Amino acid sequence: MKKNNTNKLQKRGLGAKASRRIGNAVIYVVLALITVIWLFPFFGIVLESFRVEETGQVSYLWPKEFGFDNYIRLFKETDFMRWFLNTGLMGVCTAVLQTVFVLSMSYVLSRLRFKGRKLMMNLMLILGMFPGFLTMLLIYKVFYDFGLTEQMAPLGLIIVYCASSGMGYYVSKGFFDTIPKSLDEAARVDGATRFQVFYKLILPLSKPIVIYTVLMGFMAPWGDFMLANYLIHENSAGMSVAVGTFEWLSKTMLNTNYTMFCAAGVIVAIPVTVVFLCLQKYYVEGVTGGAVKG
Amino acid sequence: MATVKLTNVKKVYGKDTVAVDNFNLDIADKEFIVFVGPSGCGKSTTLRMIAGLEDISGGTIEIDGVVVNDLQPRDRNIAMVFQNYALYPHLTVFENMAFSLRLKKAPQEEVYEKVVKAAEILGITEYLTRKPRALSGGQRQRVAIGRAMVRDSKVFLMDEPLSNLDAKLRNQMRAEIILLRQKIDTTFIYVTHDQTEAMTLGDRIVIMKDGFIQQVGTPTEVFDMPDNLFVAEFIGAPKMNTFKTNLVYEGGKYYVTPYGAKIEVTGSKAEALRAKGIGSREIILGVRPEHFVLVSGKSSNSIPCAIRVNEMMGSELHLHVEEANGDRLVVRIPTIALDDEQRKSMGYGATIHVTFEGKVMHFFDPETERNILA
Repeated sequence: MKKNNTNKLQKRGLGAKASRRIGNAVIYVVLALITVIWLFPFFGIVLESFRVEETGQVSYLWPKEFGFDNYIRLFKETDFMRWFLNTGLMGVCTAVLQTVFVLSMSYVLSRLRFKGRKLMMNLMLILGMFPGFLTMLLIYKVFYDFGLTEQMAPLGLIIVYCASSGMGYYVSKGFFDTIPKSLDEAARVDGATRFQVFYKLILPLSKPIVIYTVLMGFMAPWGDFMLANYLIHENSAGMSVAVGTFEWLSKTMLNTNYTMFCAAGVIVAIPVTVVFLCLQKYYVEGVTGGAVKG
Repeated sequence: MATVKLTNVKKVYGKDTVAVDNFNLDIADKEFIVFVGPSGCGKSTTLRMIAGLEDISGGTIEIDGVVVNDLQPRDRNIAMVFQNYALYPHLTVFENMAFSLRLKKAPQEEVYEKVVKAAEILGITEYLTRKPRALSGGQRQRVAIGRAMVRDSKVFLMDEPLSNLDAKLRNQMRAEIILLRQKIDTTFIYVTHDQTEAMTLGDRIVIMKDGFIQQVGTPTEVFDMPDNLFVAEFIGAPKMNTFKTNLVYEGGKYYVTPYGAKIEVTGSKAEALRAKGIGSREIILGVRPEHFVLVSGKSSNSIPCAIRVNEMMGSELHLHVEEANGDRLVVRIPTIALDDEQRKSMGYGATIHVTFEGKVMHFFDPETERNILA
């Protein structure tokens, strides 16, 4: 009787193991499929960018002839370098300024208590629900008057990206809220000013969120097309990569410029990828660091 | 080293939530003061006001004769130890302890000397290069104390520093704080909800309830002469038994008559009653559990009770007994006073007879709950 029972149990145990294995297998197959679907366009663009025999769209994937022709053209025949630098400059400036704004905003909302704090947070929440392009017309008018369009558009865009960035405080405020307040208090008793508490304590403890904020700030200009296109208009000197290269996809230019567009896409992806890979290390470190509690 | 003086200190949250009111206290130089009370009594709030972490709604706080109401915490020259240690997780133990010195831009040699000296006193020298997360609770608390020590501050504030430790470690750290105090020799203000900590650590104890001071006194004073019923019940464990009964003045002698027994008041208590000229009246009588004695059988001065719970504590028994009216009393009997037979007989439902001596009782007014002899 007893033996029977153990046999049954063993069988059940094996069954559970087997079904877990099948479940895992299904999950891995699905994940692999999703990965292929995800990665396909990236591979496609990289392959297209090295195609030499044809500059327009073709009906096959693997290039017949590999070469750097598209890249050479990109830097020799177009203003791409200029656009790239414009965008890079915008990225760096926005990343720095936006990080300063967002983090100070989050710290203030997380740590200080003042009249109108709740009201302010609610207002920002409501304001955030309006799509950004509602203000485009007004922004254009004002920036036009100040001479911040066309060639000066990158400066104008930096202002736009940073001006309202404080409203994106939610994520970092949420993170700051998890750092025990007694740490602030201990530091203040130890002789720190509010600002010293912020940069000696809160910032090092919030590495992941600082990195996240920097990354978001850096990437915004790389991806933005709508507002950038509006402010830049058709001035090549002020263009960003997104606006500049998009022109090549117009019907008249597509056949001569498609592969070059792909090459531009690859170049644009490089800095973002590099930045991400570099900062990823700190990301993990920050997350596992955590605060010390009893 | 400094005196601390609190005058009419008040703390109001929002519009009318009073956390602390009418708080008056003079703390002498190098005194060890303990604020004790149940949670929500305002003890931590008061400490935080002294530290400058809470605004003061009314009154003044002086440290060394200087009003500090509007000074930032960093300008008050205080050190503080927090309940959850509040160590900086990204810094090593050394840097945690050196934090305040670094902010002051102290020279490297001074930082090194002070941190190492404090670490030696606390026995944490070998952990100086570790991060706080690699330390146990007791070690973390030592680091927190060390961080406060290197500051050479005027006042040392401790906010329930032992509450996060387990019972054994708590006893050990308590003893270490007493030793530490002799080494540091400064003014201490210590907050706790644990009356044992208060009794063992404090030169004077401040007992608080609902934002008001109930009594200030040495451990002996608050234990022997509690000002009111709250203090009487709060100090001492298990807590004091209290019951409504009558004080009878008869033929020049005082008696109390709890549950039909008639027990004479003797010694200093009787003298004090006489000196105050108190006559027969209704009172709340307080008797500490350890002041009960077992008697062998029923007599005119004993109370018969049925045992409900028998807690064997090792050196003593805590008997939760029920009197005929259904009132519960706690009686503490040293194990050594009982023979084997008696010990065996003390099961659920067994009847015992208890009485108490005439000189150890406390009398409270049923209306005001104040000690009528205080």
